[in-house]
Amino acid sequence: MAEFWMHSGWLIPAYGLLGAIATLPWSIGLIRRTGQRPAAYLNLVMTFGAFVHSIFALQRVWGQTPQELNWDWFQVADLTLHVSFELSTLNLSIVVLIAGLSFLAQLFALGYMEKDWALGRFFGLMGFFEAAMSGVVLSSSLFLSYSLLEMLTLSTYLLVGFWYAQPLVVTAARDAFLTKRIGDVLLLMGVIALSAFAGSLRFNDLYEWVKVADLTPIVATLLGIALIAGPTGKCAQFPLHLWLDEAMEGPNPASILRNSVVVTCGAYILIRLQPVVVLSPIALSLLVIIGTITAVGASFVALAQIDIKRTFSYSTSAYLGLVFIALGMEWPGVALTILLTHAIAKALLFMSVGAIILTTNSQDLTELGGLGPKMPATTACYTIAALGLVGLLPLGGFWGYCLGVDFFWGEQPVLVAVFLLVNLLTALNLTRGFRLIFLGPAQPKTRRAPEVAWPMAVPMMALLVTTLVVPWVMLRLDLLPPWQYINSTALVLLVVSGVAGVAIGAVMPLSQLLARSTQKPLRIAQDLLAYDFYTEKLYRFTVVWVVERLSVASSWFDRYIVDGLVNSVGLASLIGGESLKYSISGRSQGYILTIMVGMGLLGLLMMWNTF
Amino acid sequence: MLSALILIPLAGALVISLWPRQWSGRQIWLVTLLVQALSLLWGGWIAWQFDIQQPDLQFVESLPWIDALGLTYQLGVDGLSMPLLLINSLLGGIAVYASSATIQRPRLYFSLVLLINTAVAGAFLAHNLLLFFIFYELELIPLYLLIAIWGGARRGYAATKFLIYTAASGALILGGFLGVAWLGGAGSFNYDVTLAQSMTLLQQSLLLGAILVGFGIKVPLFPFHTWLPDAHVEASTPVSVLLAGVLLKLGTYGIVRFGLLLLPDAWNLFAPWLAIWAVVSVLYGSLAAIAQTDMKKMVAYSSIGHMGYVLLAAAAATPLAILGTVMQMVSHGLISGLLFLLVGVVYAKTGTRDLTVLCGLLNPERGLPITGSLMIIGVMASAGIPGMVGFIAEFVVFRGSFVAFPIPTLLCMVGSGLTAVYFLLLVNRAFFGRLQVAPASDKVEPDVLLPRVAWRDHVPALALALLIVALGLQPNWLFRWSEVTTIAWRSPAIAVAQPLPLDSSEPLRF
Repeated sequence: MAEFWMHSGWLIPAYGLLGAIATLPWSIGLIRRTGQRPAAYLNLVMTFGAFVHSIFALQRVWGQTPQELNWDWFQVADLTLHVSFELSTLNLSIVVLIAGLSFLAQLFALGYMEKDWALGRFFGLMGFFEAAMSGVVLSSSLFLSYSLLEMLTLSTYLLVGFWYAQPLVVTAARDAFLTKRIGDVLLLMGVIALSAFAGSLRFNDLYEWVKVADLTPIVATLLGIALIAGPTGKCAQFPLHLWLDEAMEGPNPASILRNSVVVTCGAYILIRLQPVVVLSPIALSLLVIIGTITAVGASFVALAQIDIKRTFSYSTSAYLGLVFIALGMEWPGVALTILLTHAIAKALLFMSVGAIILTTNSQDLTELGGLGPKMPATTACYTIAALGLVGLLPLGGFWGYCLGVDFFWGEQPVLVAVFLLVNLLTALNLTRGFRLIFLGPAQPKTRRAPEVAWPMAVPMMALLVTTLVVPWVMLRLDLLPPWQYINSTALVLLVVSGVAGVAIGAVMPLSQLLARSTQKPLRIAQDLLAYDFYTEKLYRFTVVWVVERLSVASSWFDRYIVDGLVNSVGLASLIGGESLKYSISGRSQGYILTIMVGMGLLGLLMMWNTF
Repeated sequence: MLSALILIPLAGALVISLWPRQWSGRQIWLVTLLVQALSLLWGGWIAWQFDIQQPDLQFVESLPWIDALGLTYQLGVDGLSMPLLLINSLLGGIAVYASSATIQRPRLYFSLVLLINTAVAGAFLAHNLLLFFIFYELELIPLYLLIAIWGGARRGYAATKFLIYTAASGALILGGFLGVAWLGGAGSFNYDVTLAQSMTLLQQSLLLGAILVGFGIKVPLFPFHTWLPDAHVEASTPVSVLLAGVLLKLGTYGIVRFGLLLLPDAWNLFAPWLAIWAVVSVLYGSLAAIAQTDMKKMVAYSSIGHMGYVLLAAAAATPLAILGTVMQMVSHGLISGLLFLLVGVVYAKTGTRDLTVLCGLLNPERGLPITGSLMIIGVMASAGIPGMVGFIAEFVVFRGSFVAFPIPTLLCMVGSGLTAVYFLLLVNRAFFGRLQVAPASDKVEPDVLLPRVAWRDHVPALALALLIVALGLQPNWLFRWSEVTTIAWRSPAIAVAQPLPLDSSEPLRF
């Protein structure tokens, strides 16, 4: 039986896909009598099936060598495209995480989306989303991974655009698709080039090829940059980070997944690709640079946001920046630890945010306050999630930071400083959020705020417990560094940075920070951060402007030059005909004269040679 | 056997136009649909009998016709033409299904549609240069009439433009063919890849130039493309489907069959320039599409961009790239057919195709939700999202061309990114947002209620969408026909591109 679970392990993505297909009759309106609920239940069952299946498969694979399942999907001439899956302990653990979080998010959605008329479509999209994610993680061929990343792009587009009647949603969905698409097209260029150079696109073959690869430095660099461009878009890293914060216009249950496991998928591809990116030292340094810029920049930008979802989505970008740094420094272990601990804690954080939004119908931090005593469960979730994120003992986030700081301690003091700074700023921002949401006097929107109902409370509590046991699980799995190797200075510094963040957040005057300052320099700084360093404007005046001008120019060229030329040729022939018409007098003398003159000229011409 | 593919629609056209009794439009529609179904079935049967292991011409039929001229009725099918024949019959059937049975002058209309299918099938089957030319010209007349009679407001202009452009194309091609036959000294116009062997390079180049421009008009390639947007905008939906799905393929088919294969030496010489031409065409078409506000024009410009990929692949001429040309032709036929059908539905229900006016059509109760969903599938397929046929076709084209022309290939991929830009604009403007079909104004107006689309009107688009997804998931069904043929063509004579050396002795020209 255990064998069966494993050999059918590649089917795990099929659960979500089947669930998505099964919702079609509801979402296209074939079944109306039952309401939309059955579609949701179908998807919940399928996702739970995927969860159980992946746990069984994980049990079987535990401690064994990875199993690979491979099909030659496309085989022509010198091109073979493989569809292959790898079932390893790591892969399946992430799949368990994805399926579990997806199940909880869908359960949460049952409450959160209760009043939505398109519940079936939403759950179908969630199923599709989940299928693509688990496929990305299980895939062991770059071709398949690329394809599934595109599926993620597509489903992100559809999920962000779920409430498509709102103008902000429309631009958010567009930006989500296009910014990711820029990364994807660059990645596709890398994939095509790799396929031409290496022959096969399976990761294992690529790793073999890297050993013998002999590329000129410039080709290697371009290849490396192309390969990291895709994950840069998926993980919302500078300069392709714009979409994640806009994507917060989408429904919250999808945001839970997007901020936790979707970005994890993007980073996971990068982890798989890292042995190839190694070909180019410049690309590796670029990873570190991108990561640093995003980690520090996004942490600051998060501080200036007043939208509850957006501020935490910037913190997602910042954490993924840390992951990029770790990968650029070739420490995939650090990257994975940060990814996994961040995913669980961030999912919990977004669940509590969802609860707040549903109860108060507001996601503006300035309109909230005093929710602490009214929504105890939500408060507990927020607190635990915050503790799980930041580098304060003893929950998951701490250990991610701890590993990072430990490894960079000797040779990269700058990166250590980046980690500590991000930790400080995150703690500061979470404390700021806590004060604004849960403390202080109740405002009009928070006066009547009952705790959420059980469909949302149950997944929140389940995830809360999970977050609490993360360190224990890590201890059991020997993922924590042994005590004797821990650098105590680093540890103290880390805790100090976290405590400092909390302290600053606790004492800083909030009302002044939120109102736009009357002092000009401070106001400029505030606006700079609040508008994300004006990245959107930057886009508008560079890429968007160039494409727009070019398109207008080519359209103009088409209409007036190409078509103008064509039409003038037509006009010239028409005018020619019209004007020649007047030489037709109807008198034979004229015709004969013309003929004579013509013949005379002809004769002259023929005689010319004889002289 | 192959003649049946030509004769079935021809007989259908004759029966419909000459049957001595008055038929209702509905009956004519039904008969035409039956004829198309019959030819599709026949095409399927030929595909069934087709030996995919055999690279040569199959089912050859040869009848002497006018020996003095060297014109022989010679038909045959190989891996290049087999998929295109099937697409021709399929899209022909879909075009008929999508036509209204209550159309004005149904007899003429439906017999002209059948005549187009006759001519296109004949052109794909012909293995005699003159015979190809006859069919190529034959297809022109019914299409001219279809646009000029059943077209939109500026139909006269569009149809005449189409006629003049295509006639010029025909003249150039005829000149090229005459040159090939006479300079080659064969005395016959029968298609033979060795025909041009005895020619000098200069002769070959001149002939190739004429043939390229001739077919380039048909494809269409920049700067010979302006007839296409006009023709599409004025043509009715089924005619647009035929035009984009089938007739443009004559151009690319001709470039591969009569350019690449017939004049290989000159092709070698031209190849780098052709790749650049392809890039210009792709980028120009894609950029121009972004600026369009008419949905149909946007799809038409996207055709210009996507057909450029075929030229790129043909220029590279690696076996994979040649296979890519076939796959891209089929995928473009299906995808653009789907897009034109959907734009047609939108136009029929709202009365406009203007992107500045349409908004929120996805509205579930009052809008066109299913058309909108299919449109999203269509634009995603066109933008090269995996899981649909557009992706694998483009992947093969790019992968096959990259080894020969890395920079042009990468630039063409930028065009693939631009596809996402303009089609996303289309979906965002027309389908997302609050439902409205008139320019925004301050007046309080009642909610728009669009008429529902009957399920029978969804059938053609659904069928195409299913096919697009099926071929995308299982591309084997698409490339199996052409694989052996295209690989067998890689004789030393046409191997333009050597695979890139992996060592750094000759670095890529980035």
